[in-house]
Amino acid sequence: MSEYKKQLPDITSIDRPFWDAAKKRELVAYRCLNCGTFYSQVTDCVACDSPRMEWVKVSGKGEVYTFGIYHQLYHPAWKEEIPYNVSWIRLDEGPLIMSNVVECKNEDLYVGMPVEVVFDDVTEEVTLPKFKPVS
Amino acid sequence: MSIKDKYAFAGVGITKQGKVPEMDTDQLAAQAILLALEDAGMKKSEVDGYIYQQGIGGGPHGSQPLVMAGVPASFCWEMSSGGCYCLNMVIAATSALEAGLCQSCIILHATSASTQRVLVGAGGPQMRSTQGAYGCYGPVAHGAWIARRFMHLYGLTREQMGSVAITLRDYANKRPEAVMYERKLTMDDYLNARMIVEPLCLFDCCLVNDGAVALIITSAERARNCRKPPVYVMGYGTDHSVREIGTSPYAYMHWDGFITRKAGENAFKMAGVTLKDVDVAELYDAFTPFLLSQLEAYGICGTGEAGPFVEEGNLRLDGAFPSNTSGTELSWSYLQGFSHLTEGIRQMRGESGECQVRDAEICMVTGLGPPAPGSTATCCIIRR
Repeated sequence: MSEYKKQLPDITSIDRPFWDAAKKRELVAYRCLNCGTFYSQVTDCVACDSPRMEWVKVSGKGEVYTFGIYHQLYHPAWKEEIPYNVSWIRLDEGPLIMSNVVECKNEDLYVGMPVEVVFDDVTEEVTLPKFKPVS
Repeated sequence: MSIKDKYAFAGVGITKQGKVPEMDTDQLAAQAILLALEDAGMKKSEVDGYIYQQGIGGGPHGSQPLVMAGVPASFCWEMSSGGCYCLNMVIAATSALEAGLCQSCIILHATSASTQRVLVGAGGPQMRSTQGAYGCYGPVAHGAWIARRFMHLYGLTREQMGSVAITLRDYANKRPEAVMYERKLTMDDYLNARMIVEPLCLFDCCLVNDGAVALIITSAERARNCRKPPVYVMGYGTDHSVREIGTSPYAYMHWDGFITRKAGENAFKMAGVTLKDVDVAELYDAFTPFLLSQLEAYGICGTGEAGPFVEEGNLRLDGAFPSNTSGTELSWSYLQGFSHLTEGIRQMRGESGECQVRDAEICMVTGLGPPAPGSTATCCIIRR
């Protein structure tokens, strides 16, 4: 596991619950306790100004909102992956999150593709939520 | 209270753009300052405000360029908002003038990105990064994400994106000081170029080069007595997408192009004119989709029409909406927004040579950029 060469997420006290949940194979999103609006970032609710927020488990289902295919290498650890996708997933609950779509050829990717979460244990400490096409 | 027409651009200093290995960023900045003073016919002692950014490619170091140029400023501010900061500096400079903090203010950009061989957005080997964990590096992806949305929603084609790059290159081919002055670009060149972040190829991306520009803003009264005709600041507006992060499909870099509307509305309201009064526009173009999304966001064309609008030649000199008339960031020089304001001022002065829009009186200039998450849009209206 110590050979993992790609960058690891910058986990802070603010988003640690997201990464702790991912390790337990759960996808969570940030929701307002007052009005129910979901967010993909930690924030006080901008819809109703409530400071009462919570992390809740979400379905893990959504669709590809947009994506780009990296051909240019920006970090040596990605050399074998090129060309690879960086995609935004619109979760069924509303928020957008950035991830990679796996188990899918680049040429098969499209906006609106139904996807579901999978969990990639990249190190002993870190699990990255990724997405695969719904079969 | 409106600042409409109270302040004006009095000086423009443009160094060599492109590969300038013989000068560092401080030397480039100092030279741009001296050129702007000469252009304005102003004394060094008249300039007492200075605003700059530590942009891509190092940027100038603090007040060092002022020391080298011998300009005794009474404030020296660093501002950072990427491709938006040039226009945000105009807001800051006119605010400082309005508050009586200075009599004249220099705003400046200097970069040695080419000499330093900067790969914009490249990741460090050790640093933790949540974006890097997913292989997301650099701002190019923002352009790719917008383009992919437009392809999905409106049928945007690569040929239409190419027509943006070629329109701007054709302008630059008429401007001897442009980095790409001698380099023609055809649709074949465009379609066969290497991909960076698909669907963006090399020619959808701005240049990486060396160079500096300094602009002097002062009172309208002082500007009228300068060497060159004054170019007035009529109005500006700005907006940020922070309230839409995470919930709206319009968040981040204006994927579907709506957040910028408020910036435009506020700018035109302060200026007391409408889009119909605009003779020439200089729209932020770090990547071709940024320009396309702004055409729609500012109401220059209808939603979903940006691709055909450019393909039909509307941004050309004989088109309905001549824009980016020097080739700006894609083909003139990448100065994080300074190429747009510089060209806008030159259009208003009648200094744009073969790319001059005849009898142009009013120009719209825009910027787009961080701070992330989300992004700033700023719009500025200037006149001769």
